[in-house]
Amino acid sequence: MEPRWSYKSNVWPDWCPGCGNFGILTALLKALEELSLDPSQTVIVSGIGCSGKTPHFVNVNGVHTLHGRAIPFATGIKLANPGLKVIVHGGDGDLLGIGAGHFVALGRRNIDVTVILHDNGVYGLTKGQASPTLPLKARTKSLAKPNIQQPVNPVLLALSSGYTFVARGYAFDGAYLKNLIKMAVQHRGAAFIDVLQPCITFNDVYTADFYRKAVYKLESDPGWDPVVKTSEEASVKLMRAVEKSLEWGDRIPVGVFYVNPHVSTFEERLGERLRKYPVQNPSNTPIESAGKPVLSQEAFEKMFKEFIVRVSGTQGR
Amino acid sequence: MGGSLKEVGILLGGPQGSGIETSMWILSRVLVSKGYGVIADREYFSNITGRHSYIQMLASSVKPPRSLKYPVEILASMDAETVFTHFTDISEGGILIYDVNTSSRRIDEIPSMEDATRERVARILSDKNVEPSVESVVKYLERDKRILPLGLDFSALLKTLSEQYRIDARALSRFLSGIIVSSVAVVLGLSEEAVVQGFEQQFGERKHLVEQNTALYRLVRDALSNHYGAVRLDEPGFSMEKAMVVTGNDVVAIAKIVAGVRYQSYYPITPAADESFLLERYDNIVDETGEVVGSVVVVQTEDEIAAVNSAIGAALTGARASTTTSGPGFDLMVEGLSWAGMNEVPLVITYYQRGGPSTGQPTRGSQSDLFNAVFAGHGEFARVVLSSSDHLEAFYDTIEAFNIAEKYQVPVIHLLDKFLANTVAVMPVPDLGGVGIERGVLAKGGPGYKRFSLESLISPRAFIGARDTVMWYTGDEHDEHGHIAEDPEIRVKMYSKRIEKLNLIQRELPLERKLRLHGPGSPDYLVVGWGSVKGVVLDAIEYFSEKGLRMAYLDVKLLWPFPSEEFLKITSGLPDSRILAVEHSYGVNIAELVSMSTGRRIVKRVSKYTGRPIMLDELVKGLEEIVSGRRERVVLTYGA
Ligand SMILES: Cc1ncc(C[n+]2csc(CCOP(=O)(O)OP(=O)(O)O)c2C)c(N)n1
Ligand code: SF4
Repeated sequence: MEPRWSYKSNVWPDWCPGCGNFGILTALLKALEELSLDPSQTVIVSGIGCSGKTPHFVNVNGVHTLHGRAIPFATGIKLANPGLKVIVHGGDGDLLGIGAGHFVALGRRNIDVTVILHDNGVYGLTKGQASPTLPLKARTKSLAKPNIQQPVNPVLLALSSGYTFVARGYAFDGAYLKNLIKMAVQHRGAAFIDVLQPCITFNDVYTADFYRKAVYKLESDPGWDPVVKTSEEASVKLMRAVEKSLEWGDRIPVGVFYVNPHVSTFEERLGERLRKYPVQNPSNTPIESAGKPVLSQEAFEKMFKEFIVRVSGTQGR
Repeated sequence: MGGSLKEVGILLGGPQGSGIETSMWILSRVLVSKGYGVIADREYFSNITGRHSYIQMLASSVKPPRSLKYPVEILASMDAETVFTHFTDISEGGILIYDVNTSSRRIDEIPSMEDATRERVARILSDKNVEPSVESVVKYLERDKRILPLGLDFSALLKTLSEQYRIDARALSRFLSGIIVSSVAVVLGLSEEAVVQGFEQQFGERKHLVEQNTALYRLVRDALSNHYGAVRLDEPGFSMEKAMVVTGNDVVAIAKIVAGVRYQSYYPITPAADESFLLERYDNIVDETGEVVGSVVVVQTEDEIAAVNSAIGAALTGARASTTTSGPGFDLMVEGLSWAGMNEVPLVITYYQRGGPSTGQPTRGSQSDLFNAVFAGHGEFARVVLSSSDHLEAFYDTIEAFNIAEKYQVPVIHLLDKFLANTVAVMPVPDLGGVGIERGVLAKGGPGYKRFSLESLISPRAFIGARDTVMWYTGDEHDEHGHIAEDPEIRVKMYSKRIEKLNLIQRELPLERKLRLHGPGSPDYLVVGWGSVKGVVLDAIEYFSEKGLRMAYLDVKLLWPFPSEEFLKITSGLPDSRILAVEHSYGVNIAELVSMSTGRRIVKRVSKYTGRPIMLDELVKGLEEIVSGRRERVVLTYGA
C-alpha cells in the first residue's frame, strides 16, 4: 500500500557521510510511515548539535530549538495541544549535559512525549569534545587529554527519573530501531530511547565496528519481560531493568528495558483538575468572540467577587 | 486630634508571619466599604517568620490615593521592634497603639533587629536623650511630640478571648491581627458592622473566626472607649458603588484570564510567584451560570529556562502563553527571548523588578532593570517593552501586551515592579466593554504553507496542529519555510523584516499607549518617569501647582520601541534644563534611554534605591532642591 504521506523532506542532510545519524533518520522515517502519523499532528522538537538538525529532514512539523532546551519546548507544545504526537531528538551533550535538569523533569511528570537520544559520546557539532556519556579516561582522537569526568548512564538516569518506557537501540540496526521508535511513540507517557550512534568523524572508540561486536538483544534471554503487568510488580521490574542498564563493555544490551503503563500521565492529572482540558485544550479554546473577551462583565464580577467590595458609605458609622 | 482629616496615614508593624498582612487586607476592605480610598504598601525582609515587617497605608476621603506620605497619624505596633523602628514616623498629635507588655523592653534585647538598624535607632535616641526602652520612647513621644499613646494589654485581651471561646494558647497568636484591626478601627470610629463585614470577607467560610474576632473587636472597643473616633476622616467625597481591592499581582493574573491566557509557566521567585498562584486558583474559568468556559494550564517548571521555553512551545500551538519572573529569573530566560525574537513568537513575559544586582534585595522594590528588559538578548530583533504605572493601567496593559504580541508576532515584556506587585490599592471594577482581543493576521495553513512568508511584513500565522499543515521553526537564520538558510540575500531579507516590524508598531500604536502627559500643557518644569513613580509624582505636581509652579509629568509607558518623535514633540518648547527625571535606581536610566533615543540630555535627576517607595514629602523636598538650582541630583532615602 502506498503510504498516505511522504515523510522525507527535500532538505539535504548535511551530516558527515557514514554518520550514525543517517541510520536514526531512516528508522524514524520508516516508523512514522508504518504508524501512518498525520504530519500536521506530529511535531519533532530538537536541540542543538548535529542531531538537532533532524526536524528539517522530516516532513512533519519541526521545531529546532536551543541547546539543551528541546524538552521544555516539547512540554509547552504537548500541554497546550495534547492531541499532538511529540518526539524529541537531542545529542548526549544536549539532553544529558546542558539539558539534564529538563531530562529528569520530563520523567518525573510522565508527559506523553518520546525522547530519542543520539548517543555518540562526543559533542559533534563543536568538534569532538567529551560528552556526558564518554567514560572516564577514554580518549577519542579529537581529545588533547583523556576524559577527566565520569559518565552518566542514560538508561539508568531515565529509569530513576520516572520514564515509563525505557529502551536502547543501535543506529545501524535500522529495522530493530524502527520498532523501538514505534513502541515508544505508541506508549502513553514519557518514553526514552538511548540510541548508540557512531560519530565517524570524532569518536574512534565507539565505532560501528565496536558496537557490531558488543551489541546483543535483551530478548535473546528467554526470560526477559520488561512490561509491568500490575502496578505492584513495578519495583521488581524496575530493579531488573536497573541491573541490565549497568551492563557495558564487551556486551551491551539493546531492546526494551522497562515499560510501565500504570502511571498516570501529566495530561491525565491536569484533566482531573481542569474540567475542560480533556476536551478543549489551550491551543483551541475560544478566547474571544467578535473581538471581545469570552468572559462577560457579569461572569467577571462573579468570578472575582472576593476582590470586589460593595461600598455602603459612612452613614451610621 | 482636632477636627476631621481629608486623609489619614496608618502604619502597622510586627514580626513577619504574625498576621500584619491579614490586618492590612481587612482594614483596607473595611475602609473601602465605608467609601474611602486606600493604598497600602507592604515592606518585609526575605524571611518567613520573625523579621520586622510593616504596612504603610493611606486612607483618603477625597480620592483613591496614589502615594504614601510620612509622618503618619496612627502607628499600630504588635511588638517593641515596631515602636523603636517607627517612632519617628508618627506625626505630632498622632496616635501610638502598642502592647503595654512590651514597655520594659530595651532595644538591645531584640534579636530580630539588624545591628545596623539597632545602632542607627540607638544613635537617634541618645541624641534626643531618651533611654532605649519602649517605656521611655512612649514617654518621649507623649511629652515632646504630643503623641497620644494608647497602651493595650494584648495578653489580657487574648486571655479573656481564650476563656470565652476555649481557644488553645498556641492558637492565640492568630488573633494579633484582630487586635490591630480593631484598635485602628476604633480610633478611626469605624462601625462594628463594617468591621464585621471585613472579618467576613477575610475569613469566609470559617464562621468561628468571624465570631471570635468580633468578640475581640468589642473587647478592644471597651478598652479604648474614650478614644473612639479620636482620628476622624471626613465624609467620603467621591462616590463608588463597588470597587476592587487588589494587589498588582492579583490584577495582572485577573487580566490574564480576561485576555485569554491559556498557558502560564513559572519558577517560584519573589515578587512574581503570587501572580501564578492566583491564576492557579482560578484555572477553571466560569461564565455567569457557573459553566466552565475554558481552563488555564499553570505549570511550575524546573527552572526559568524551562518556564520561558515551554511558554514559547505553547504559543507555537496558538495558545496565548506567558511566563512571569523577576530579575534573576529573567536573566535565565534571555536565550529563549532571542529565540522567540528570531521565530516571531507572540510570547509575553511579565517582569516584576526587585532590588538587584544578583539577589540584591529580594523583597524590596526597584526600577533598575530598565536596560535589562530593553536590551537583553543576543543579536538584534524586535521586542516590545511596556510599563504600567498603577493597578488599573496594569489591568488594561496586560491585555494589550497579548494583543501587541499576537498582532506583530513579537515577544512583549511587561515591566512592573515589587511596589506595584505587593501594594494593595482600590480601583474601579474594570469595564470589559472597553477591552478588545486582537489575534493578528492568522492563516489556515494548508499544503505549501510558509510560516515566514516574505510577502508581507507580518507573515500570516498558522498554529502547529493546523489541518494539513506542516511548518518548521529554527533558531538559525531560515528561509520562508523555516529551514536553515545561510544565503546572504535571505539573511538580509529575513533579518530586516523582523526588525522593521518596530516601525509598524511605532506607527500603529496610539499615543496614549506610548506617552501620557499629566498636568499643564506648557509647564515650567517637566518630570519624566515611568512605572510606579507616577502616583507620587502626580501628587507632588499638585502640591507645586498650589504653590504656583506649573509642573507636568510625562509617563513613559512604551519603553521600547522608544517613542522618540512623540517625546520630542511634547518637549519641544522646553529647554533641557527644565526637564527632570525620577526613578527607583541609582542611574535614573530613563534619562539615558531618552538621551540615546532622542538626543535630548536630562541632567537633573531624583533617585531612590533603598528599596522602599518614594514618599510624597521627600519627593517634594527633592524637587524643590532641584528647581531652586541648589542641586542637580538628589538621592532620597526615607523609610525603615
Ligand atoms: C547555550 C549554548 N552553548 C553552546 C552551544 C554550542 N554548541 C553547539 S552544538 C554543541 C554540542 C552538541 O553536542 P551534542 O548535544 O552531543 O550533539 P551532537 O552534535 O553530538 O549531535 C554545542 C555545545 C550552543 N549552541 N548553545
Ligand atoms: S560530526 Fe559526528 S555526529 Fe556530527 S555529523 Fe559528523 S559524524 Fe555525525
